[in-house]
Amino acid sequence: MKSNSPGRVLFINVVSLISFLILWHALVILARNDIFNIPFMRLRDVPTPIETWYALTGALFTQTHGPGLTYGIVDHTEASLLRVIQGGIVAFVVGVPVGIGVGYSKLIGNILNPIIEIIRNMPPMAWIPLAIFILVTGGSIFIVFIGMVFPIILNTIHGVKSTDPRLIDAAKTLGASGSKIVTMVVIPSALPSIIAGLRIGLGVGWMAIVAAEMVIRSPIGLGYFIWNMGDLGRYAEMVAGMIVIGVIGYIMNISILLLQKRFVKWVD
Amino acid sequence: MMIDYTKIMKTSFNILLVIILAVFVAGCLESKKTQESIEPINLVKMDGQGAVQRLGTGEIAGFIYWEPYPSTAITKGYGKPLLYSGDIWKEHPCCVIAYNYNWRKNTRNADDILKRVALMQLRSVEYINKAKNSGSPDHEELINFSMEFGGLSDRQTANMSINDVEFVYRNDIPKETTFIERIQDFGIFDPGKWNQSGYKNASDYANSLVTNQYVEWALANKDANLKDVALKEPVTIRYGYLVNDIHELPFYVAWRKGWYSDVGINITLAEGAPFQNGAFEMQKGFKSGTVDIGSLGIPPVIIHRINSNDFSKDDARVGVIAGMNDEGSVIVVANNISSLKDLGGKAVGYPGPGTIQHVLFLMAADKEGLKVSY
Repeated sequence: MKSNSPGRVLFINVVSLISFLILWHALVILARNDIFNIPFMRLRDVPTPIETWYALTGALFTQTHGPGLTYGIVDHTEASLLRVIQGGIVAFVVGVPVGIGVGYSKLIGNILNPIIEIIRNMPPMAWIPLAIFILVTGGSIFIVFIGMVFPIILNTIHGVKSTDPRLIDAAKTLGASGSKIVTMVVIPSALPSIIAGLRIGLGVGWMAIVAAEMVIRSPIGLGYFIWNMGDLGRYAEMVAGMIVIGVIGYIMNISILLLQKRFVKWVD
Repeated sequence: MMIDYTKIMKTSFNILLVIILAVFVAGCLESKKTQESIEPINLVKMDGQGAVQRLGTGEIAGFIYWEPYPSTAITKGYGKPLLYSGDIWKEHPCCVIAYNYNWRKNTRNADDILKRVALMQLRSVEYINKAKNSGSPDHEELINFSMEFGGLSDRQTANMSINDVEFVYRNDIPKETTFIERIQDFGIFDPGKWNQSGYKNASDYANSLVTNQYVEWALANKDANLKDVALKEPVTIRYGYLVNDIHELPFYVAWRKGWYSDVGINITLAEGAPFQNGAFEMQKGFKSGTVDIGSLGIPPVIIHRINSNDFSKDDARVGVIAGMNDEGSVIVVANNISSLKDLGGKAVGYPGPGTIQHVLFLMAADKEGLKVSY
């Protein structure tokens, strides 16, 4: 179909993005000139896309003013990403074995399911006070872990359970041991689902890190940056930081999709 | 023409990998550079109670805060005073009383109200300065007021707190000019907003911000009977102040002793008051028009009248009519810290960017040639 050709899709995407920027700009300018304003909002204080762009380019790198060292967006991004990676690795290492156990063994499933079902319904943000009070350090990483581990567990369970029983039977007939069946049949079959869990988990982890950084204050991180800029009344830098958060989340999502396409070739 | 979507995705993915790699390499190079000198001190925003607790658990190596938090931490044995803010800058201005420009514009007798607010401040400061003395008959009452206002449970902390603060009513315009200059040096103003403001220099800005005319009226009517100088028709003022801040004790004393109502001013708490810090009082209180008159640190006033102001409306415009206190902030550190240098690479709690404690800490670090990240 013509309307689905990649060229056309890209064209529509670009036009839509540009229209959004124009609408944003127009709303701010109209509010600033007292022509139109959305009630109960101070839209006049929102930076225009152009102001945001200048703020973004101006705040990319670390600057010093006298004794004051203000980290650049690049450093803040690096710090936040590092926390997500650290929390993500722990979540992966914990989540995948738990998921395989619960999915493969009915007994383990019966033991762990009630616990998982309750804890997974506590949003990562609900853990922030606990992280502040009981953890001396690494609170933000812990919140990422909480955010990421449940999507990974649930997707792993799903992947394991949807392994074709004929494949397992075939392996059994060929004399494979229990551990062989798990490593050679169940895990490869569940891998796409595990990666899907990782992708969802990264999304949740990225949201959680920004919230955690706002509350669990450390001097560096994107969540911290946008709050800090808000405190200083530098709203253009604040919005620039928000956009960076969105773009990074998007990039993480498509990166995992591409990785999946490259490395999990047996799925389609 | 067909565009190969997957090819674009692949190319952008590769570009991305290169960018991420570059960022990490740059990060590594940078961390090598800083290892040679003392690492920057990390200022971390937190509330005062949190700062005291975290110093106790060793999570932070120190904090800079307004009284009573330093005295609380010291009497609990969590830390010791490293620098009093008077050591950083002798008799530096701190909290002030400010009014909202738009409130003044829309209030017929605003000048008469402001004169009486200045008089309240003068009376309170004189009362406190006498009652600070332990031999004074009012001493016990003052300690009770400080405990109520500061949220304190012990008299020793209250006494220590009020003795660290110098209560004043005058504005010192040259010193406030210095504050503006330092805030400029530290790169806190939004450059675009500063240009829009149209102020030629720091002293131009200070003179437009601060006036002593109301204090002069108060001095002339210093000994008047309050009933004689009362407003003919009582007014209601929405007042904003900072949470548990002993600096603002003069306001609380005048309020509690009923002096405000004696001169015909009913104080109601502004929406959102007491505020967590001055930056928040400026942005949420004054700018939103929910605070008519309030007390807060002079740096948040200086910073947000530029950064948060919409110059076509002048919505964050405030005027400063009286001082509240000088000094009164303390850098408290863990017992194993003996100099500012020892704080390098460690976390130090503070009320937030753009507060007086922020600016004072930068000034202290500047003297020692240290770097501070925030």
